Amino acid sequence: MTVTDYPDARAGTQRRSPSDWLHQILSMPAGAILMVFLVVQLACVIAGLMFPDDFRYLSGQNMGIMMRSVPVLGCLALGAGILMIAGEFDLSIGSVYTFTAVIMAVLVGNGVDAFIAAPAGIAVGALIGLINGGLTLRFNLPSFIVTLGGLLFWRGAVLLINGAVQVRFDPNPVFDAMFGGTILGLNAAFLWFLGLCGVFYLLLHRHRFGNHVFATGGNRAAATAIGVNTGRIKLIAFAIAGGMAAFAGILATTRVGSVQPGQGTGLELQAIAACVIGGLSLRGGRGSILGVFLGVMLIFTITDVLLLMRAPGFYLDMFIATLIVVASIFNHGLDRRGGAL
Amino acid sequence: MSLLALHNINKSFGPLKALNDLSFEIGENEVVGLLGDNGAGKSTTVNLISGIHQPTSGHISVDGQKQAFTCRRDSAEAGVETIYQNTALVDSLSISRNIFLGREITNRFGMLNLRKMRDISMHVLESAVHISGIDSPDKMVGDLSGGQKQAVAIARAVFFKRRVLLLDEPTSALSVRETEALLNQVLKLKAEGVSSVLVTHNLYHAYQVCDRFVIMSHGTKVLDVAKEDTSIEQLTQHVVMT
Repeated sequence: MTVTDYPDARAGTQRRSPSDWLHQILSMPAGAILMVFLVVQLACVIAGLMFPDDFRYLSGQNMGIMMRSVPVLGCLALGAGILMIAGEFDLSIGSVYTFTAVIMAVLVGNGVDAFIAAPAGIAVGALIGLINGGLTLRFNLPSFIVTLGGLLFWRGAVLLINGAVQVRFDPNPVFDAMFGGTILGLNAAFLWFLGLCGVFYLLLHRHRFGNHVFATGGNRAAATAIGVNTGRIKLIAFAIAGGMAAFAGILATTRVGSVQPGQGTGLELQAIAACVIGGLSLRGGRGSILGVFLGVMLIFTITDVLLLMRAPGFYLDMFIATLIVVASIFNHGLDRRGGAL
Repeated sequence: MSLLALHNINKSFGPLKALNDLSFEIGENEVVGLLGDNGAGKSTTVNLISGIHQPTSGHISVDGQKQAFTCRRDSAEAGVETIYQNTALVDSLSISRNIFLGREITNRFGMLNLRKMRDISMHVLESAVHISGIDSPDKMVGDLSGGQKQAVAIARAVFFKRRVLLLDEPTSALSVRETEALLNQVLKLKAEGVSSVLVTHNLYHAYQVCDRFVIMSHGTKVLDVAKEDTSIEQLTQHVVMT
């Protein structure tokens, strides 16, 4: 019998009832967050329709702010998410985000075209990721410790290169339009984020590499035994996390037109928080790109709602903190049960 | 000619000599019981055959050809599949993704053909491995029982046409019913031309299915006997007394 001769496994499959669908959705890593997200969106839309003057959730201006805010954290979370599923952490992505943005801005300030400076920044970010991964794997250290060192090192490197002053970023108009403009009324950076979500979805859920990422994070010994090069998978995941941090830096720098030395502080924790809220396991091996997307969107939706309600900023921190702990409790339950992809 | 043979294998870990001049053979359509108490060297032997360890001296041959397994993939390519006690499966991946892990069906760009992987997995589980309760290849391995996980591991070996299964303490975490099903599976695979090495503490399980027994003690083979030439009492005596 050849590979093409096997019968369709779906033939004769029974129709599922709504409760089966609900159970299946809730058993997905992103299932619970999807339900929460839909409920929050529904509540916001209803409130926006009922109180259009006081709660301007549906206004074009508010949507524009959301679209401009989401991509930077979103890109950081996509990279951090792949690495988390591979079973590692990168706490240096906030510092790498600033460091590579400074490098790019300095290059452009010295006459280098932005279309060359930006890939150079991404390459530096990926290289830093490889260094983090290399140290973690070579010396068998916890990535938490290695990248904590990286967080401090690259933050210091920013000050070493340019001091504690902001760097102007003045790219050519085409570059500016591609990363900071609007296309058909939609923010270009948000479109980049959506596009990258699609690419990462294909990579993680539909490509051989993704299968190996889940296996590496889920049971490294088993993956190694079956012939998966888990060290290489982790190295690539580290490089992706670093490269995505640099890409997030490009989006932020193009939008603002300058780089502040302290602009990435705390972003690494927000990115990991978005991943945890999105159902990624802290132990690796479980999660989804949909979860990362929803985790990021939920953080910004809640931020947006609190701002529209003119709530003090500390409410936001308290709310996000509660969400992280609740999501972790839920994820821990899934981990103990074996989890689902 | 034997299917797989160990020739004068010695294995040391620093000053510790784990295996001492070990030689035995596994024939075509044969189930061999590798028996011995803790520390006898059974696991080291399994790791050598599966390519995880390399011998200090001596060699392994398959079909009379000398082999140098440096990793599990080498032994797999020679037709040997190892099924461990807690099985080399990933709980957070589906059954079909586990069966094809490392040997995924992809297009030229590396994109998975998930539908084909599902169809083949279901067919293999239904036709080659008869363990009840697996109704979908999309089910997560983490949701399966110990016996079902063994079934998935065996299904992987069956599909990739392995000729020798190394089963390392396969029944230790199984219920009575699951153990019975697994032992029947070993016999069924034997009838289909797949040889097995059953590494176990449980002499009764081994006696039920094995054609020959190799008993080890302190890294040395102390007995190599066909089933018709021995009894379970004699086997027990050898394991206990040596």
